[in-house]
Amino acid sequence: MTTDNDRLLLNAYIDGELDPAHALEFERRLGESPALAAERARIEALRGAMRERLPRETASSELRRRVTALARPRPSVARWGSGWGSNWGSMAASIAVAFVAGSVATFVAVGPGAREPVPELLVASHMRGLMASQPIDVVSSDRHTVKPWFNGKLPQSPRVVDLASQGFPLVGGRIDVIGLTPAPTLVYRARQHVISLTALPAAQRAGGTIRPVDGYNVVEWTDGELAYWAVSDLAAPELENFAKAFRAGDAEP
Amino acid sequence: MDREDSRTRFTNVVMPHLDDAYGLARWVTGNRADAEDVVQEACMRAFRGIAGFSGGNARAWVLAIVRNAAYDWMRRNRAPTVVHVDDLEAIEHMQTPEDATSAVETPEAALIARADEARLEAAIAGLPTVFRETLVLRDVQGLDYREIATITGVPIGTVMSRLARARGRVIATLGAET
Repeated sequence: MTTDNDRLLLNAYIDGELDPAHALEFERRLGESPALAAERARIEALRGAMRERLPRETASSELRRRVTALARPRPSVARWGSGWGSNWGSMAASIAVAFVAGSVATFVAVGPGAREPVPELLVASHMRGLMASQPIDVVSSDRHTVKPWFNGKLPQSPRVVDLASQGFPLVGGRIDVIGLTPAPTLVYRARQHVISLTALPAAQRAGGTIRPVDGYNVVEWTDGELAYWAVSDLAAPELENFAKAFRAGDAEP
Repeated sequence: MDREDSRTRFTNVVMPHLDDAYGLARWVTGNRADAEDVVQEACMRAFRGIAGFSGGNARAWVLAIVRNAAYDWMRRNRAPTVVHVDDLEAIEHMQTPEDATSAVETPEAALIARADEARLEAAIAGLPTVFRETLVLRDVQGLDYREIATITGVPIGTVMSRLARARGRVIATLGAET
C-alpha cells in the first residue's frame, strides 16, 4: 500500500524533480517496495503511451497567418473599422508576406557580426529554425545519411549519435552560421520539442552545466576539439538527459 | 516601445511557441475551432502586453496568457457546469469512483501501455480542467514543475498533487475499461 506522500514523491522522481539526495533515497525505497515499483511501471507506461500515441498538435497555417497578421508592419487598424473583424482575414495573406520580408530584414540587421555572445546566437539560430517551415536542410533519421551530408560541406563534421531508443529521434541537420563560423547543427526531437545541437571549435573546456538563455535551456560540453551546444525549450532535467545520452552514445555503427 | 520593437519582440517571443499555445488551448477547451479562437485572443493580449515581458521564460509567459484566455473564453461561452474552474478546493479533494478504484485495483502496466489514441484522449478529456492542464503541460508539453506552477498560478506542491491525481485517474480509467 502506498501513501499519498509516496505517490507525490514517486511522480516527482519520475519527472526528475527530486534533488540527487532525495532521488537516491527514493530509489532505495523503490527497490524495497513492490507496490511502489508497480505504480512506477504504470506511470511510465502512461507517459510512454501519451508520448507515442497522442498526435502532435500544430497550429494550422491559417491560424499562423492570422496571428502573424496581428503584428503587421503598418498600424492601419483604423481603416478596417473596430479592429479584428471578419474582413481582415482576407488581407492576412498579403500582410503576412510583407511581414515575413520585414522580419528577415530585421534578422539580418541584428544578426551575427556584432560581438554577441555565442549562447544568444545559438538560441537565435534555434528560434529561426523553429519559425522556418522546414527547420532542417537534410531530413533524415539515419545518421549514415546525415553525417556524410556534413562531410561534403564543412571541414569538421560532428559526432552523430542514434538516440531514438532513448526518446530522442534524429530528424536531420542544417548548417548555422555562428558569428562568422559555419557550424554543423543536428536536429533531434523529444516528443513535440526540437533540440538543436551545434558543434563549434572548443574555446575552453565546458562540463555540461545547463543554463537558461532567452527562455531556452542551453547546455555546453566539450569533446576533443569541439564544443557541443544543445538548445531547446525542453525542461532542464530532460535536456540534461539528452546531453548525457549523447555524450555516452556510440558514434560508430 | 514603438510598434516596430513590439513586432520584433512578438516574433521572437510568441511565434516560436505557437504550436504549444495551440496544443494547450486544444486540450483545455476540448476542440480545435475553439482553440483557434483562444489562441488568437491570447496572441492579441500578448502583442499588447509584449512590453511587459521582462525576459526569462518566453514559453511559460505565452502559455500563461493562453491559459487565462482559455478560461475567460470558457466562462463566456460554456454553461457554468462545464467549467471546472471555480470551487477548486472541492475539486482538489473530490473523491471520484476512479480514485477509489485505483486504491484497490492495480492494472498491469502492460495494459496501460497498450491504450490506443482514442482511449487516451477520452481518459484525459474526462479529467477536471485543472488536472487535465497540469498533465498536458507536463507529459505532452514537457514543462517542469516550476514552469507549470508559474503558468497555472499555484504553488509547486499543488502542481505535484494535481499531477499525481491526474495520472492516477487516467491509469484507473484505462485499467477499468478492459
